[in-house]
Amino acid sequence: MAGTIDREMGLDAVDDLEQLPILGRLHEWVITVDHKRLGLMYITGGLFFFLVAGLQAATIRLQLAVPNSGIVPPQVFNRLLTMHGTAMVFLVGMPILTGLFNYLVPLMIGARDLAFPRLNAFGFWLWFFGALLLYFSYIGGDGLYGAGSAPDVGWFAYAPLTELPFSRGNSTDYWILSILLTTVGSTATAANIVSSVFCMRCEGMTLTKMPVLVWLATVVSFMILVALPPLSAAQVMLLLDRFLGAHFFDTQAGGSAVLWQHFFWIFGHPEVYILVIPAFAFASEIIPVFSRKVIFGYSVMVAASCAIGFISMSVWAHHMFSVGMTPAGNSFFAASSMLVGVPTGIKIFNWLGTMWRGKLRFKVPMLFSIAFLFQFLVAGLTGIMLAVAPFDWQLTDTYFVVAHFHYVLVGAIVFMIFAAIYYWFPKATGRMLSERLGRWHFWLFVIGFHLTFDTEHFAGMQGMPRRIYTYQPGRGLETLNFVASIGALVQGIAVLIFVINVVRSLRSGEPAGDDPWDAWTLEWSTTSPPPEYNFATLPVVRSRRPLWDLKHPDDPDWRYE
Amino acid sequence: MPVEGNPDNPIEAPAPTPWPMLMALGLTLVFAGLVTNVAVTLVGGVLFISGAVGWFGEVLPVEHREPLRVEAAPAAIVPATIGVDYLHVGELGNRAILPLEIYSYSAGIKGGIAGGIAMAGLAVLQSVVVHHSLWYTANVLAATVLANLANASTATLSSFIPEAFVVALIIHASASILVGLLYGVMLPMFPRYPAFWAAIVAPLLWTGLLWSSLSVINPVLDARIEWRWFILCQIAFGAVAGFVVNQTERVTTMQHLPFAVRTGIEAPGLGGDREGQN
Repeated sequence: MAGTIDREMGLDAVDDLEQLPILGRLHEWVITVDHKRLGLMYITGGLFFFLVAGLQAATIRLQLAVPNSGIVPPQVFNRLLTMHGTAMVFLVGMPILTGLFNYLVPLMIGARDLAFPRLNAFGFWLWFFGALLLYFSYIGGDGLYGAGSAPDVGWFAYAPLTELPFSRGNSTDYWILSILLTTVGSTATAANIVSSVFCMRCEGMTLTKMPVLVWLATVVSFMILVALPPLSAAQVMLLLDRFLGAHFFDTQAGGSAVLWQHFFWIFGHPEVYILVIPAFAFASEIIPVFSRKVIFGYSVMVAASCAIGFISMSVWAHHMFSVGMTPAGNSFFAASSMLVGVPTGIKIFNWLGTMWRGKLRFKVPMLFSIAFLFQFLVAGLTGIMLAVAPFDWQLTDTYFVVAHFHYVLVGAIVFMIFAAIYYWFPKATGRMLSERLGRWHFWLFVIGFHLTFDTEHFAGMQGMPRRIYTYQPGRGLETLNFVASIGALVQGIAVLIFVINVVRSLRSGEPAGDDPWDAWTLEWSTTSPPPEYNFATLPVVRSRRPLWDLKHPDDPDWRYE
Repeated sequence: MPVEGNPDNPIEAPAPTPWPMLMALGLTLVFAGLVTNVAVTLVGGVLFISGAVGWFGEVLPVEHREPLRVEAAPAAIVPATIGVDYLHVGELGNRAILPLEIYSYSAGIKGGIAGGIAMAGLAVLQSVVVHHSLWYTANVLAATVLANLANASTATLSSFIPEAFVVALIIHASASILVGLLYGVMLPMFPRYPAFWAAIVAPLLWTGLLWSSLSVINPVLDARIEWRWFILCQIAFGAVAGFVVNQTERVTTMQHLPFAVRTGIEAPGLGGDREGQN
């Protein structure tokens, strides 16, 4: 970090962080309240758990590569499945996206920090310790030293199956407690981003001049504030059931068997959008820069995002068609689910409109963004199919659903996380990631992704149920599963190349300069990496592309906005 | 957008602090104690309270801030030496805000109504030719929402059922108008041969989607549909709706104009060159 710090000794005795011993540097990171450092800590932590959860996914695919495989026993398989899903949502998706917003939002709105820097640090550490607590369950789930006892209840932890009589030991408690902690952390960050966006924008940055990413960060933060409390409430209820003998989900004592599902999916479906809207945000910043055009339909883009955020709150029960709701309930949730497709479709048209007749530069961030567009379109189409209740009745709990949501979570979100890291890595570190390794990473990841998840659609339609640890031969599933597992291996190799690229570029990457992509938003106007105070003088903006105005004084944007 | 700094004037920022981390650790241990040992909860509680007290001390009565030395300013952003020559659409140079012209919404509605009538005519013709009844096709359409008709016999479906007729009329009218609107919006987007897209490609795509999925979604209905007639009806709709929309005069989009002008607010200087405004 470039910021030099005076502490207790006055400005003349400046500590250069680079010269501190390693423990001293670690201490500086532990006590930091700087939004950029906290953002990088979120991203690094998220990438670490991405590797861990990725290894778990690889083990799952290894087990499923051939029928009647016995590489892992059933309960271990369930634990792998639970920890993979939980980690990917709460320890990978949420922290990386939170971290990127943490890093970028103050820079993009021309502020020196988030509104509540200490709350920001508190949120990060809650997430971090919550994550450690979840993985501590591997040693503590069956009692303090009962090894190998991580939660095995799925990332959805359906009650009443997670009630004490059906889920003995403490592994489920670990799941509840750790997720409670991480969600409190996310809520703190969301409150911080909302406050910062509304109170700390630089002069001239009206709401209509904010970058699309900042708008979407605000939408996501509002969604977090609304969607996460129901999950926390349900978790507290389940804890009360398990520890104090309450009966919220105990059907024999008058509790409800589907109450957990309602609470969980009231959180769970918006959560998908909480994860995917940041992907939209990154696409909305990257595609215009690499198309050399203004974003097509800025106001429609923002309105569509707000609409997605709003409608996504009313679609949760499409995860529950097979529960047996009333026809009116099925119809309402089917219709509202399909309705989300409208603003989402608008956004895809707008990204295509941005690219259309632009001068495209096919750098790695743009490659990932283009793949995202195609894959997210397919994910949306299979989503519409699953929103049709009769279709869902036949394919729910099959690998078709697994393939669909991995198209969203990997094909859209992970692809755009990679795009964002390639795009903003130079700003955060001052060095470029290798373009050559990046292309290897991209192509292998695309090939691996499609090998795995395209085939899983067909496995699902062939009738392969999800969450099973093995299957019998002779049902037409062998080839599909083998190809899917090969795809997972290819994805793993791609991620390995990415890790090598990051480590190599951190040490000896090409110096980036302040504005390596010839971009237009405020973060590129400061040094790479930015100083601790972000801007020596707070900027004043007159359009949505302040750097364009500086670079093209003869043709500035503010004439047209 | 000035970004130059003043090295002689340090910037203050919130001082680094361990208290939030300690408070988070304390809260985690409070939780962890529930599944390990009560002593862990007690230690966590002490850490949590210490962290909270320390944190309050950081911000009350005055927030603890520290000065940061201002470093060398980033390199100045220089104007581009080459002109902007990316796009040549419309009057706005590199900012191609497209489309420049669209059909009015009423054109889409008119197209939808005309297409719907043409489609209904063909559907009735099919009903008469194949089933010797005026009502068969309407009843099959109504069966998509009327569960009691889903498994009805051909004889029942060939008879006049007032309830089914009203339902079919509502479905057909609303779908025709909505698809007509879609045509009105989308046709200007196609650079060439809009008639081809409207009359052939769109109906075939839509029919293909329905054909491939209906056997899964609603197999009973799927068995009742004669797909060749279905395609003919769709093409008839597309051709007529596309023709009506295409005959309408296009209007210039107003998206280049300021919001106030679009909403008709009359005030001096709104529509003019804004170069002079800062």
